[in-house]
Amino acid sequence: MSVLTAVGERGLATWRAVRRSIFRVGWPRTDKDRAAAMISSVVLHVHPAKVQRHSLRASYTLGLGLISFYLFGVLIVTGVVLMLYYTPHPPDAYRSMKDLQFVVTFGLVLRNMHRWAAHAMVFVVFLHMCRVFFTGGYKGPRQFNWVVGVGLLLLTLGLSFTGYLLPWDQLAFWAITVGSNIAGYAPWLGAEVKYLLLGGNVIGAGALLRFYVLHCIILPLLAIMLVAVHFYRVRKDGLSAPPLPEPPPVEEMVAGRFPPSTRSYGLMALTDRPAQPVVEAEPDDEVLAWPHLLYRELLLLLVVLVVLHAVALLFNAPLEEIADPTRTPNPAKAPWYFLGLQELVSYSAFVGGVLVPTLMVLVLVLIPYLDPAPRGVGVWFAPERSWANRVFAALASVTILVTLVGMFFRGPNWAWVWPWTQ
Amino acid sequence: MRTPQRAAVGFHLAFAVLGVVFLAIFSWVFLKEYLTEWRTTQAQFDQLQRRVKDPHALSLAAPLGDIRQVWLPDVDRVDRCTTCHLGIDDPAFATAMEPYTTHPGTWLQTHAPDRFGCTICHGGQGEATDFRNAAHRPIPNWSDPMRPPELMEANCGTCHRERRPSQTFWLERGREVIANAGCIACHDVPGFALDDLRAPRLESVGYKVRPDWLRKWLADPKGYLLQARMPNFRLEAAEIEGLTAFLLAQRETAPLDSAGIDWSKADPDRGRTVFGEARCVTCHTIEGRGGTMGPELTTVGSKVGRDWLFGFIKDPAHDQPGTLMLRYRFTDEQIRDVVAYLTEELVDVETPKTPPEVRYVDPKLVESGRQTFVRHGCYSCHRFTGMMALGKIGPSLVGIGDRAIEPTDFKIEAVVPTRSNWLFLKLREPDRLADESRMPTYGFSETDAAAAVVALLSIRRADLPASRVTDQPRLARYEPQGAFGALVARYRCLSCHQVRGWGGELSTVPFDRIGSQLQHSYLVSYLQLPSAVRVSLEERMPQFHMTREEAETLADYFADVFVDDSLGGDIQLDAEAARRGEQLFQTLGCRGCHIVGRTGGYVGPDLSDSGRRLKPGWIEAWLSEPGKWKPGTLQPNYGLKPEEARALTAYLMTLSTDRSGRKP
Repeated sequence: MSVLTAVGERGLATWRAVRRSIFRVGWPRTDKDRAAAMISSVVLHVHPAKVQRHSLRASYTLGLGLISFYLFGVLIVTGVVLMLYYTPHPPDAYRSMKDLQFVVTFGLVLRNMHRWAAHAMVFVVFLHMCRVFFTGGYKGPRQFNWVVGVGLLLLTLGLSFTGYLLPWDQLAFWAITVGSNIAGYAPWLGAEVKYLLLGGNVIGAGALLRFYVLHCIILPLLAIMLVAVHFYRVRKDGLSAPPLPEPPPVEEMVAGRFPPSTRSYGLMALTDRPAQPVVEAEPDDEVLAWPHLLYRELLLLLVVLVVLHAVALLFNAPLEEIADPTRTPNPAKAPWYFLGLQELVSYSAFVGGVLVPTLMVLVLVLIPYLDPAPRGVGVWFAPERSWANRVFAALASVTILVTLVGMFFRGPNWAWVWPWTQ
Repeated sequence: MRTPQRAAVGFHLAFAVLGVVFLAIFSWVFLKEYLTEWRTTQAQFDQLQRRVKDPHALSLAAPLGDIRQVWLPDVDRVDRCTTCHLGIDDPAFATAMEPYTTHPGTWLQTHAPDRFGCTICHGGQGEATDFRNAAHRPIPNWSDPMRPPELMEANCGTCHRERRPSQTFWLERGREVIANAGCIACHDVPGFALDDLRAPRLESVGYKVRPDWLRKWLADPKGYLLQARMPNFRLEAAEIEGLTAFLLAQRETAPLDSAGIDWSKADPDRGRTVFGEARCVTCHTIEGRGGTMGPELTTVGSKVGRDWLFGFIKDPAHDQPGTLMLRYRFTDEQIRDVVAYLTEELVDVETPKTPPEVRYVDPKLVESGRQTFVRHGCYSCHRFTGMMALGKIGPSLVGIGDRAIEPTDFKIEAVVPTRSNWLFLKLREPDRLADESRMPTYGFSETDAAAAVVALLSIRRADLPASRVTDQPRLARYEPQGAFGALVARYRCLSCHQVRGWGGELSTVPFDRIGSQLQHSYLVSYLQLPSAVRVSLEERMPQFHMTREEAETLADYFADVFVDDSLGGDIQLDAEAARRGEQLFQTLGCRGCHIVGRTGGYVGPDLSDSGRRLKPGWIEAWLSEPGKWKPGTLQPNYGLKPEEARALTAYLMTLSTDRSGRKP
């Protein structure tokens, strides 16, 4: 009996030693351990050890950035698995889609998840951008992060667009025809841009391979790099928050130039920011990231996964007939996020296809530099920023409206139809 | 007071609930995969095969639980039908219920599943593994649904491209309809060539037809002749007027001169006799009786002018260079009498005897008629000098069997928008599908249109590798030259006879080895005055009134060229052999089908004259193996030994009396 206990104890000790070699801080039981667990883990150290309580409010950020990150993760995982079965050469590409649908174990659910996550990500990223604008989260010192965000928006659209062609069905082929033609409307460089995009003048095997490499390697790598920068910036600058009540006068007060951060201490950074004296901050305002932040993140992850799975199990991703360059569907529609553009193009190719999108991207990128005044940060629809909010809301609504028109109200020959008569 | 660092109870609850929900949904993923339709179908089959098969057979059966497929890389198909149709090639399941039943008929023996799969013949989406997506019924986004049984022969035709494939009633009939209707004139139709086209040339039609007849014909060809090949172009009255003016202005080649003919001496009764001797009804129909190689003559007197008819009978190729009609060696008086018979007896009682005097000198009307002629593509069938460069007016039918059909292609709401329905409507009522269609109305019957639909559906887009296609070999043209060729051209032998498959089908005697079959002297006398060899036949060779020199030229050529060396050789025939042959003739009962002397059956040819008619080498070869020389013949193969065949030959060569028992 004692031999067994000795062996058992020795085994347990070995087990614990192995565990501690992997997880330097074990399952935390003290507050110190909880803080240490966050900052010592390679995966978790993107979080701070402590967060302000009000930054945990779901109604503040709606978790949109996090949702889009989760969707990106789901897309990467499902995408890699799909890559095992997909051949980027027509017509094997289409045959791969059929094989995924009928033969590959879980193939249908995998493909559906990938497609619905992709559509959701485009939409969520758009909403995230709106949220950041409406809460003034682009004001200093976060201007560049906004620009990185715009870059991520463009990468998301690019990823969705390049992935749209891969099934090589009629829907894919003609959507990319429309999209690449819109790219080709740019003056002087339009033809070159289109040639670069397609790797030629037609959408064929070359274009498919190019889109595949863009979709699986080039754009994801760029996206991962920008996501890293984006997260790093968020950690450095903290989550923006409404200004705290009047701080006590301190020499070299430069308050007002930077909205106060939710963090009360800097992390390996030299800061000339007037740090809020720790003693002044309400201790109750701060909580440990583990478990409060972590739990909320995990919960959100569960919600996202549950919704994604349900949608993927209930609704099949569309797959039309194999791409036929000789047969154009009427109407041929771009992917839904470009339908607003296509609607504008139907009025004027240059204005709709070149001028408006260029201006939109330019304006987006320049927003933080056009409106640097540090007012109304950290709250939704702050009254100090009502003008900016109204303009942005109007533009966003127009974008949504034009996209809806392109989606539902346009029929053969791009003529107006009432969707309920179809 | 420090806030608790533990999460609230609400969180734990949310986690618990969501966790359970997530597990439930995630397990749904697994259930969806492991309870798929094909797995349950295979499980049921497992139970069935345990009931049907004995344990030993069961142990040999292929294991279940996986997808089964036939992969045909040369036609780029994957057929997974056998995942559910598990008993398809196992006779043990002949009485099982679907989807486990054995394939009916012997089709799988001629079309092995591992070489043909399933969708080549049946259509459908072979990649699918469930009922709905396999396109057993039409589904969206799959343009090749499973064919209903009435259309399945179309799939046979994709590989079997011969004009008359065997065991396919609808396909063969459909291809015949397409050949007869002349679709190839306006459309590119794979598998059909322009040689089949037969419409008169119109460069001189102004001399030929009566204007009142022409107007009636253009308005409705089938109103004049129910079997007219020309379709109805739905012309408006103004178009008809213009076309009539245009056509009547076409007077390129005047008919042969009939100015010296004294029509008052014409005798229609003698004409009728000549008409009968010439056996015109072999090719022409009168009042429903006769052949269809040439136009119907029931009311020809109301259709054509008398002078033109004279010139045409005298030399048909003068007006229509490519005509099938031969040039009899009639005298002018004989032609005069025939024409009188035709124009006085074979008339439409309602038309006036003398054609109205009409003058067409309005050039604008003629020009509008010319434009109508071009616009409706008349030049496609009626070859017209000056319009030969115009291409085919109709769209190409390559890939018509795969043509995408949208519901907007139909103007009629109540029709199910399938490809076969679209083709059927297009053939029957082309103007109802598209407003501006210039395709004429052919007036196909429903059966003919349905057959043509099947034939058209067999014309697919993707080309098959040569190993998959069967086709009849292309016939080499046979156009003899020289004196023989001139005679063949004059008497149009090839309108009825064939050489190496090239020619007409009216006669059952090809020329290929005729020199080895028939004696020279018999041929010479036969060509001058054909007599019936078979009593029971309706078709007889006409009397051409050819000269003896012409008959000799033809017979010499036959004897020199159309021989089969295996049928030659001198055969020693002696009286002893002839006696044995006569005995054999009695024992085998040949008289049951053949006449010898005054008695015998009517099934086979009269043998009374064999000694003067046939050559011994041919008789011997024929008796030894009839099926080799004429597949499907009624002559039985008695399995004769060579000496028996020779004896019979010897006997037959002694017979040289005709039916009345007279010796020459």
